[in-house]
Amino acid sequence: MMSVKCFFVLGFLLTGSVSASEPVLNARQVLAKMNHAMEVLNYQGTVAFLKNGKLEPMKYVHAADKGVQQEHLLSLNSPLREIIRDADQVSCLFKETQQTIVDHRPFEHSFLVDMPKNLDDMGGIYQFEIVGEENIAMRPSYIVAIQPKDNARYPRKIWIEKQQFLPLKVVVYDNSGVLLEQVVFTDIEVKKSMPFVDVKFLDAVYPAQPVHQIQLQSSDQAAFVVTQLPTGFRELFFVRKPMHNAEQPVDHLLLSDGFTSVSIYMENKMASLQPGLQSVGAINSYSRTINNFQLTVMGEVPAETVKFIAEGIQLRD
Amino acid sequence: MSEDLNQKISQFLDNELDPFEALSLLKKMRSQPELQDKLNRYEMTSHAMKADAFLLKKADFSTKIHQQIQQEPVYLLPQRKRLKPSHKQIAVAASFLIVAVIVGRSMNDPDQPFKAASALQVEQQQHPEKSVSPAEVPQSQLNKRINDYLQAHNNSVYTNGEANFQPFARVATYSQK
Repeated sequence: MMSVKCFFVLGFLLTGSVSASEPVLNARQVLAKMNHAMEVLNYQGTVAFLKNGKLEPMKYVHAADKGVQQEHLLSLNSPLREIIRDADQVSCLFKETQQTIVDHRPFEHSFLVDMPKNLDDMGGIYQFEIVGEENIAMRPSYIVAIQPKDNARYPRKIWIEKQQFLPLKVVVYDNSGVLLEQVVFTDIEVKKSMPFVDVKFLDAVYPAQPVHQIQLQSSDQAAFVVTQLPTGFRELFFVRKPMHNAEQPVDHLLLSDGFTSVSIYMENKMASLQPGLQSVGAINSYSRTINNFQLTVMGEVPAETVKFIAEGIQLRD
Repeated sequence: MSEDLNQKISQFLDNELDPFEALSLLKKMRSQPELQDKLNRYEMTSHAMKADAFLLKKADFSTKIHQQIQQEPVYLLPQRKRLKPSHKQIAVAASFLIVAVIVGRSMNDPDQPFKAASALQVEQQQHPEKSVSPAEVPQSQLNKRINDYLQAHNNSVYTNGEANFQPFARVATYSQK
């Protein structure tokens, strides 16, 4: 009888020790760990980008050292290109045309998934839940569902590897559950260190063509006023700069709710842009004319959302 | 003679008179109005006896109808002029000449992809070269602008091989609700 009691006590202690070594994490904790892992780990693999109905496989390398990060992507299919992100600068080298484009993107951090740093502010507009576990690239992963609390934005799921907490798969769905975009690792390995690519060397070989030299301005200078927005969207930056290879300036206001971004463009009405709704993959846009200005609202949100925002935009007095 | 005529009128109304005698009787009625009046009376009597109803018909009823018909205007519609055989031959020859010229031009044009096209097809293909349809120009401008907007919006254009900044992104347009 004594031996039976000892057996149960031992079993209880063993169970307690196992649960202590693998604490149950909630969805927000898993996402926070993912944010940290994406910043500090060195990893590489093959990533398939499925967007706008096209599959684009790329070699992916993330290097991190003393708080400095670099993303390095190499396309496997034509058009062959090499993409490097250093902090807020993205350089893209097109191998076939030997052209390098340097882009300034201060509010994006990853080609895989852009996550808000603080999820506590997101509770009002998104619900986070671990909805299961699956193997991706032969690695056990949590499935974290990010479900919006309204229909103004898209739901998404992130498959997060259970050991290193790296995102192995990101899927964006429309509000009826149809898959819109997908980013998935087919293989991945974590290393102690990875070499950084010298972008200056690329610049010397292939003269760079700057695309966007952003000098942030106050949105008070915008020619328009936004009168209605879905809950949670706030202004990230405003810039007035030429586009379309012309001197014609375009006002660009970027909004975001943390996961989802929406751009508002306004320029003088030169060529007729088709009014109404348009769609490019998961991105919808809505264009309309206000007096002599052409307005376009664009974002990876449902068509109703871009239309709602566009219809509330007025010219500034 | 009078009774003989009355007999014939009665036989005429009963459709018992042979055609030659009926024709002779009608000729006499045209020249003798009293015979016509007698025919009308007999006809009304016969109708009353057969239908138990009396239909009053004025004596000059048929005369007035005849006069009104005579007074109807005559419309002289132009008649088609029939083409002379020589004109037909000239028209057919001209049609063949036009077809031959169009086909000949299309065969000599290296840009025409369908060299064996029929004359109708060739004619339809020549229009887009001279006048681009209105929907095509805005579509290219639309793609250029949308591509610029996409590039400024987020970094997905770099991982999307379609964009490449120069080729146009695929744009699907649909009507508003």
